[in-house]
Amino acid sequence: MKLNDQAQNLGLRVGVIQVIAFVLLAILGVRLYYLQIVKGEYYSEKAENQRIRFIPIPAPRGAIFDRNGKLLVDSRPTYNVTLSNEPIKKIDVSDRIEDYMRGLNVDRQFLIERLNFIKKQPEFETLVLKENATIQDIAWVRSHELEYPELRVELQPQRFYPHGKILAHVLGYVGEISPKQLEKPEVKEKGFRPGDIIGKGGLEQYYDQFLRGRPGYRKVMVDSRGRVQDEVEVVKPQAGQDLISTIDLDLQKAAEEQLVNSATKRGTVISMDPNNGEILAMASAPSFDPNAFVTRSATPEGRKEISEYYTNEQRPLLNRAIQGRYHPGSTWKIPESIAALQQGVITVAHSNVACGGGIQIGNKFTRCMGNHGSPPLSYAITKSCDGYYYRLALKMGLEGLIKMVETFEYDKQTGVDLPNEKISRTPKYYRSYVEKRDGKWNDIETVFASIGQVTVDVTPISMLRAISTVGVQGKMFEPHLLKEFKEIGAVGTEGEPTFVPARPSFGFAHPEPKIIEMTPEQNKIILQGMWGVVNAGGTAARLKMANFEIAGKTGTAQVTELGKDKGALKDHSWFVSFAPAYKPEIAVIALIENSGFGASHAVPAVKGVYDAYLLKHNPSVLEGQQIARK
Amino acid sequence: MVAILEKRNLRDFDWLVAFLAVAIVCFGIWQIYNAQPQMNYWSKQIIGLFIALVALAVISTMDYRRIIDAAPIFYAIGLILLVLVLIPGIGMRINGQQAWIKVPLIGQFQPSEFVKIPVVLMLAKYFGARKIGTLKLKEVLVGVAILAAPLALIMLEPDAGQAMTYFPILAVVLFLSAVKVRYVVLTIVAGLIFMPLAYWVGVETGKIKNYQQERIKVILDPEAADPRGYGYHTVQSMITVGKGNLTGIKGDTDTSQSVLKFLPEPHTDFIFAVTAENTGFVGCVSLLLAYALLLSRLIAGARQAGDRAGMLVIMAIVGSMTFQIFINVGMALGFLPVIGVPLPLMSAGLSAVLSTFIAIGFVISVKMRRFVN
Repeated sequence: MKLNDQAQNLGLRVGVIQVIAFVLLAILGVRLYYLQIVKGEYYSEKAENQRIRFIPIPAPRGAIFDRNGKLLVDSRPTYNVTLSNEPIKKIDVSDRIEDYMRGLNVDRQFLIERLNFIKKQPEFETLVLKENATIQDIAWVRSHELEYPELRVELQPQRFYPHGKILAHVLGYVGEISPKQLEKPEVKEKGFRPGDIIGKGGLEQYYDQFLRGRPGYRKVMVDSRGRVQDEVEVVKPQAGQDLISTIDLDLQKAAEEQLVNSATKRGTVISMDPNNGEILAMASAPSFDPNAFVTRSATPEGRKEISEYYTNEQRPLLNRAIQGRYHPGSTWKIPESIAALQQGVITVAHSNVACGGGIQIGNKFTRCMGNHGSPPLSYAITKSCDGYYYRLALKMGLEGLIKMVETFEYDKQTGVDLPNEKISRTPKYYRSYVEKRDGKWNDIETVFASIGQVTVDVTPISMLRAISTVGVQGKMFEPHLLKEFKEIGAVGTEGEPTFVPARPSFGFAHPEPKIIEMTPEQNKIILQGMWGVVNAGGTAARLKMANFEIAGKTGTAQVTELGKDKGALKDHSWFVSFAPAYKPEIAVIALIENSGFGASHAVPAVKGVYDAYLLKHNPSVLEGQQIARK
Repeated sequence: MVAILEKRNLRDFDWLVAFLAVAIVCFGIWQIYNAQPQMNYWSKQIIGLFIALVALAVISTMDYRRIIDAAPIFYAIGLILLVLVLIPGIGMRINGQQAWIKVPLIGQFQPSEFVKIPVVLMLAKYFGARKIGTLKLKEVLVGVAILAAPLALIMLEPDAGQAMTYFPILAVVLFLSAVKVRYVVLTIVAGLIFMPLAYWVGVETGKIKNYQQERIKVILDPEAADPRGYGYHTVQSMITVGKGNLTGIKGDTDTSQSVLKFLPEPHTDFIFAVTAENTGFVGCVSLLLAYALLLSRLIAGARQAGDRAGMLVIMAIVGSMTFQIFINVGMALGFLPVIGVPLPLMSAGLSAVLSTFIAIGFVISVKMRRFVN
């Protein structure tokens, strides 16, 4: 065919088509160059990111033991039903709530919160929907695999508190990190992710970074549906370090038992080694079951139980030992006596101050419980003479009282290794309020403060710490619960990027004790007074034991005005002590809320702890007691 | 005489075109294997290649002029097939499209792939026979009518992608049938104006479905598109192509996009992305060059064609193939919307390979008889 002969430039038109074809192919070539050569690295990385997943392998938390190696907290493997956001990201899940609720017995409100939360998370995140899944739960999830691919059953270590309510406040509990906490920059920095388990309250919180293990991970290759195709790498988890606490479980149980059997079942008992500040027992009542937060937080029953803990007026979650503030009543007289001697208001030789049966301030007469004449210091302690201290405090003045507060560090935390410790409130704290209210600090305030009322609110732990100094020549130790953390071995091979070094064991740091300045003679007369409280017909004479001399001080904290102190407004009952009086091994404090006179409720509670101590360390004393009674 | 013809047949047989076509199909079989090594698509494609080779041999030795003479019969058969496929029970519904007819032994075939050939023949017969001179409106309308009948049936399936590949056939035929250049220019200008307008009308009247709109939006800004929704195909295809870099993963498919099922339809619509991942820029450019060579060879054949009808057959096939390559690869490279059009000679599928080989058979036949008058 002779194209060239034809009209309409047929040859040219064929050429145009050819050129168009080549131009189109060239466009494809240019685009290819852009995607593969210019952006090649970018897309390679994108492809890598979408096929590689890190599946965390949870690390068990360190266990917690008492000082004798008895187990207090452990982790055990349990099945959890987890919810992953990948399959439900794009769909409306409101129609599944009913089904989940019935199938898994999970609270509706909780479900709604969970579903809303997970949908906001980045892809491939999972959250626990129900802890401690039962066989029925697991079967339900398995049988609904196709309908609800977002649900999975995973084996995860779970915290277990074998002793339930015992020691709950000290141990704390664990739970999921809250969205609020996650927003904090210092928390983000540590790489926490939604659903991570952290310590909440108690030792679990305070020592979280040591108890927490380092999770391992499986680096896997997944297909487009997130199904694992191949395992690229496994990095084993490193368990958390085991904590040996200073607690003596037997003493703890005795302390708890005393509180449970007390008149109001509210209060606290703390026992401490006065020679080093090791806490042997710390009980607070009413208590709670930490397992509720760990194993039952998704079920309607468990959620009701937990919300009841928060709303209960008796405040079971409050650790009264370190977070309760009470008027110390007459227990306040011990640090006050030391301060008076320090400040030279009285001396060992001239410690007599008039009782007078009370004191007249303006038109108000504040009475003493008896008329003790003009007793010396030790007698005033033994008999808890209020009149003596009214006058003593007036001699010290407000400045003297404030100096005393500073000496015994009532204006600071004791430093106990627990979170959220409250600071005592004293005239130092209340001064500005009172002066604002009354124009000045009146003497009557000093009189009330002298016997630990009105402007004095102390934490039981700060009281025990201050008074224990009398037994150990003024050494004021930092109370603590940590004895030591055990070593945990390294994971992996050294030199490799995934290597996790061993975490060495370490003990409590034992900061130098603060020294409360007093001469041996000064110390002796106070000790004599406290010895007399139990052993010389004092306010706690009923506690007297042969061969085991206890030194102590009772206290009765007025909750309201005299005359109204009935029922729920009864006085708080205190007893603080150590034994043996002249070479103490153990100090015990008890506070029973609204139970009445100090000697009648706190003293027996303290005795229960001493009995448990003696049963372990010196049973012959108890036998002697039995014989003596016969 | 027969012997002379045979000899001349062999001498004038366009071995290069046949070789290029077979080579691209073989390269494609390797990519189909790379796409899904566990599946038997690649072995099916080998069988398809042999069937297609037989068809090519038969068609190329036949006199194309006699086939063009019989074009109305083929055209009628084509329309019957397109009607049959719409009848439930005969036609198979896959992915919402009633586009396949089940055939015992062979499996299934797609009439819309084959009907292109009768349409080409029909147009070539009509426009090849006309006298020289400027195209008249009546002639244009006849051309449109020839195209409209099968197109309407294909749209009933509905298969907009396939339907689109029919337009370049008519465009090329009209262009080469002496349509005035000013009409060509006018059409292009009108197209540029009316395309957005038509799109807008389509959206407003609901004729362009929501998913189709989304697919177009994805092209305009793939990074902003929802990578798990409508943007998924485009985004994954771009990742797959880009990941190939200069030389690709060379068949090491353990972590490939297609084996891990990130890339959808890897052995058919997105075979080019698989090629890009496995052979990189080098492989892709080689493939594009092979297409360019094949197309130039076909166009050279058209220039030498013995008559106008033969020239139109070849050029219509060239136009249709070029258009399909551009649409398919453009989609894989993320600058054209996702349309289910196979890549000629590469995508798995007996219908597509067979119809392309039949078309190439015609081309060879036309070329072989260039001196026969």
